Amino acid sequence: MSWSPVLLFNSLTFVVFFAVVLALHHAPFSWTVRKLNLLVASYLFYAAWNPPFVILIWISTLVDWNVAKWLDVETRTGRRRLLLATSIAVNLGLLGYFKYGEFLLSNFQALAATVGIDYQPPEWNIILPVGISFYTFQTMAYSLNVYFRRAEASKSLLDFSLFVTFFPQLVAGPIVRPTHLLPQFAIPRVATRQQLTWGLALMTLGLFQKIVVADGLLAPVADKVFGAGEMLHPIDAWLGTLAFSGQIFSDFAGYSTTAIGIALCLGFGLPDNFRFPYAAIGFSDFWRRWHISLSTWLRDYLYIPLGGNRKGNLRTYINLMLTMLIGGLWHGASWTFVVWGGLHGIYLAAERWLRARLGHYSVWKTRSAQVLLALVTFFLVNLTWVYFRATDFDTAWRMTVTMLSFVTDGKKVLSFYLVLSVTVTMSTMLAVHWYMRNRRLDEVVARVPVWLAGLFWGGMLTAILMTQGGSDAFIYFQF
Amino acid sequence: MPSFTSSSEIPVTGRPLPECALGIAAIVALVVTLVATAAWELQWRNFGATPSYKNSDGLWAIERRRIDNGEGDKTVIIGSSRMFFDTQLSAWERVTGERPIQLSLEGTSPMKALQQLADDPDLTGTLVVGVTPILFFNGFAYRGDVFDHYLDEAPSQRIGQQVSMIFEPLLGFYQPDFALFTVLERQPWPTRDGVPVRKDVRKLANFDSDRNGRLWKKVETDPEYLALVKEIWSQNFRPLDKLPPPVLQQQTKNRAEQLELAVAAVEKLHARGVRVVFVRPPSEGPFAETEAVFQPRAEAWDQLIERTGAHGIHFADHPGLQGGWLPEWSHLAGDDADRYTTELAQLYHDLPPPP
Repeated sequence: MSWSPVLLFNSLTFVVFFAVVLALHHAPFSWTVRKLNLLVASYLFYAAWNPPFVILIWISTLVDWNVAKWLDVETRTGRRRLLLATSIAVNLGLLGYFKYGEFLLSNFQALAATVGIDYQPPEWNIILPVGISFYTFQTMAYSLNVYFRRAEASKSLLDFSLFVTFFPQLVAGPIVRPTHLLPQFAIPRVATRQQLTWGLALMTLGLFQKIVVADGLLAPVADKVFGAGEMLHPIDAWLGTLAFSGQIFSDFAGYSTTAIGIALCLGFGLPDNFRFPYAAIGFSDFWRRWHISLSTWLRDYLYIPLGGNRKGNLRTYINLMLTMLIGGLWHGASWTFVVWGGLHGIYLAAERWLRARLGHYSVWKTRSAQVLLALVTFFLVNLTWVYFRATDFDTAWRMTVTMLSFVTDGKKVLSFYLVLSVTVTMSTMLAVHWYMRNRRLDEVVARVPVWLAGLFWGGMLTAILMTQGGSDAFIYFQF
Repeated sequence: MPSFTSSSEIPVTGRPLPECALGIAAIVALVVTLVATAAWELQWRNFGATPSYKNSDGLWAIERRRIDNGEGDKTVIIGSSRMFFDTQLSAWERVTGERPIQLSLEGTSPMKALQQLADDPDLTGTLVVGVTPILFFNGFAYRGDVFDHYLDEAPSQRIGQQVSMIFEPLLGFYQPDFALFTVLERQPWPTRDGVPVRKDVRKLANFDSDRNGRLWKKVETDPEYLALVKEIWSQNFRPLDKLPPPVLQQQTKNRAEQLELAVAAVEKLHARGVRVVFVRPPSEGPFAETEAVFQPRAEAWDQLIERTGAHGIHFADHPGLQGGWLPEWSHLAGDDADRYTTELAQLYHDLPPPP
C-alpha cells in the first residue's frame, strides 16, 4: 500500500491556499457564494493530493444525502433498516476496499496456508485515500442520526456537501457531528477580529506542536529507536517510546489545533479533540481527553448500540473490548493496531472492575494518590504505544521485553543530544499537561500579561521559521 | 425532534475566546518574530551563508521534466557531486552555445537515472554521465528517493516548490544546514558511552535555479570549516588492513553488476541515437587512493568505456582537466571549476559526431 502527500497545513502551498480562501470568505459575496467558495476550496484541498479520489468523497456525499432524505420520510422499519444498511455498506465498503483489502487478503492467504492451501493473491497496489476513515465516519454519523430520529435530514445539499468536505478537518478530523457543523452553515458567518486573531494564534500553536515538537524534537528519537532492529538498552527503549508518545500527541493534537484555528478564522467553531491527555487519571479519563471526536463516535454509534453498560457486567466488558478492538483496527490495517486497541480495552475493563471494588476509598482523592494514578496511567499508555508505533510484532515484542526486563546489555543508539532532547521535551510536556489538566487555554491566556502572551506567540512563530519544517506528513493522515 | 439547522444532541457552541487584548499580543508576536528572524539571518550571513536555491527533490523534478516538455534534444548531465559541483553550466554554455540540463545528485550513483533515461523516448540529445568510481561501481544512492518524487509528485508539492523558490534566493538561513534542530544536533555535546559519534556531511555548495552547483566559498576560505569537511570525509577512509576481507570481494561483485546495467542502458540509448559520454572528474588525496584500491581504472573505467562503446573523458588523460584545486580532495574550487568546465566542454565539443 502506498501513500502520497496531501496539501499539508505545514506547507507553503497551504499558506497561499489559506490566504486566498480567507480573502474570498471575507469578500462581499452572498452567503451561498461564500459557501460555494469554501466547497470548491475544500475539493481543491483534497484534489491537491490526488484529484481522482475526490470522486470517493462525492460517492460518500451523494449516498448519505439520499439515504438520509429517504430515511426522513420512510416509516416502514424494514425499509429504514435497508436504507441504513446501504449507507453503512457503501461507506464501510469504500473503507474496506481501500484500507483493509490488502490486510484481508494476506490474512486469508495465511489462513489458507494453515489448511494446506497455497493461495497466491494478486498483487495489491491500491493507494490509501487520505482521510477516508474520517470522512466516512462523519457521513455515517449523519445517516445514523437520521435513522435513530435524533435529527432531521439536511435541507441543503450545498450545506451537506460542505459538512462532508470542510477542508480544515477533512483529512484528519476532528470527526465533526452533523448536529455541530450543519447549523453553522445555515447562517452567514465571518470571523470577528477577536476570533480571527485567536484563530491565528491557535494555528501557530498547532503548527509549533507539529513542526517543532513532533518533527523537530521527538521524531528523530522515535525513528532511531524503533528502526534499530535489534535489542536495545532499556534506557534507549524507554526514551524512544516516550518520544513517540510525545510525537503522536503533538502531531495529532497539532493537526486538530490548527484545524480548529483555521475554522475559527473563517468564523466556524470546531469541537476540542484533545484535553491534555497525559494528565489523565485512569483510562476512562484518558479517553475523555484523547481523540475525543473518535472516542465519542465509537461510544455513541458502537458501544451504546451494542448495549453499553445496560446489559449486565459481562456484556459491558465484552462491549468495551469490542469497541476498543474495532477502534484499534480503525487506526490501521494491522494486527499491531488491534493489540493496541485490545490493551486499552483490557485497561478500561480492569479499571471498571477495580473502581467497583476499591473506588469508594477516600485515599484516591488525595493529591499524592492522584499524581501516582496519573503516572501509572501514563506508564501503561506508553506500553500500548509500542504496538501502535512498531511495524511488526517482532519489534513490538522486543521493545516490550527490553522495557520491562531492564537487561542492560542491549545496544545504545541515542546520542547525548537525543537523550537530552527527549527528556527535556517530555518533562515539559507532562508538566504542562498536569498544570492544564482542569484549565482551558483561553482562560490561561486571558490571565497572563498581554506582552507575555505575545512573547510566547512570537517565540513559537520564530521557532517554526527557524526549524524550516514543512514536508513531514501528519501521522494520522495514514489512518 | 431537532433538525440539522437547529439545536440538537450536541449543543452548537462557538469557540471560547480569551478575554484580553489579543490584537496587542499579535503585534508583540509579530515584532518578536521579525527581530528574532532578522537576528538569525544576520548570524548565518556572518557565518558566510549566502542565499541559494535548495537542492531539493522538487527542483530536481523541475529540471527532469524539461526533458518531458520538449527539451530532450539537449545535453543532459547525470552523475554524482563531482559532476554536479565541478561542471559550471555558464562556462559550458560559453563554449558549446548550449546550457545543459543538470540532473546530477550528490552521494548518488547515476545508474538509476541512466536506466530511466534509457527507457525515456523523450531523450534524444546527448547524455553526459559523471563517474565517481566508489559510487558508480557500487550503485550507492543517497538521493534515491528523488526518482519516486519525480514520478509521484503531488500538485500541492509542485506549488510548494514554486512558492519556496520565491524565498530561497532571498534568505541566507533558509537552507537545510541552518535548520534549528540540525544546528542544535551538531553542537559539541558530550558523548555517551557506547554510542559512536559520526558527523554528517556539511554544506558544500550553493545552487542556482537550474541546479548549477558550485563549491561554497566558505570551504575555500575558512580553514576551520575546511578542516571539518576533511575530518568528516576521513570517517569513511579506513586502512585496508582494518577492513574485513569480504569488502574487496563485494566491490568486485558490485562492479560486475553495475557494468552489466550500464552496458544494457547504453545499448538502449545508442539504439535510439542518443550520444553517451562518460566523464571521470578529478579527485586526489584519500579519495584517489581509495578509488585506486577499490575500483582500479583498468578494471572499472576502462572496462566501462570498452564494453559500452561510449565516449570517455578521464581527467588523467587530459592535462587541461588537471591541476585544479580540490580543497577537500573531491570537488574543485569555484574558479578552477570554471577553467575545468571550459576545457571539458571543449573536449566534449570536439568529440566526433554520432554516426
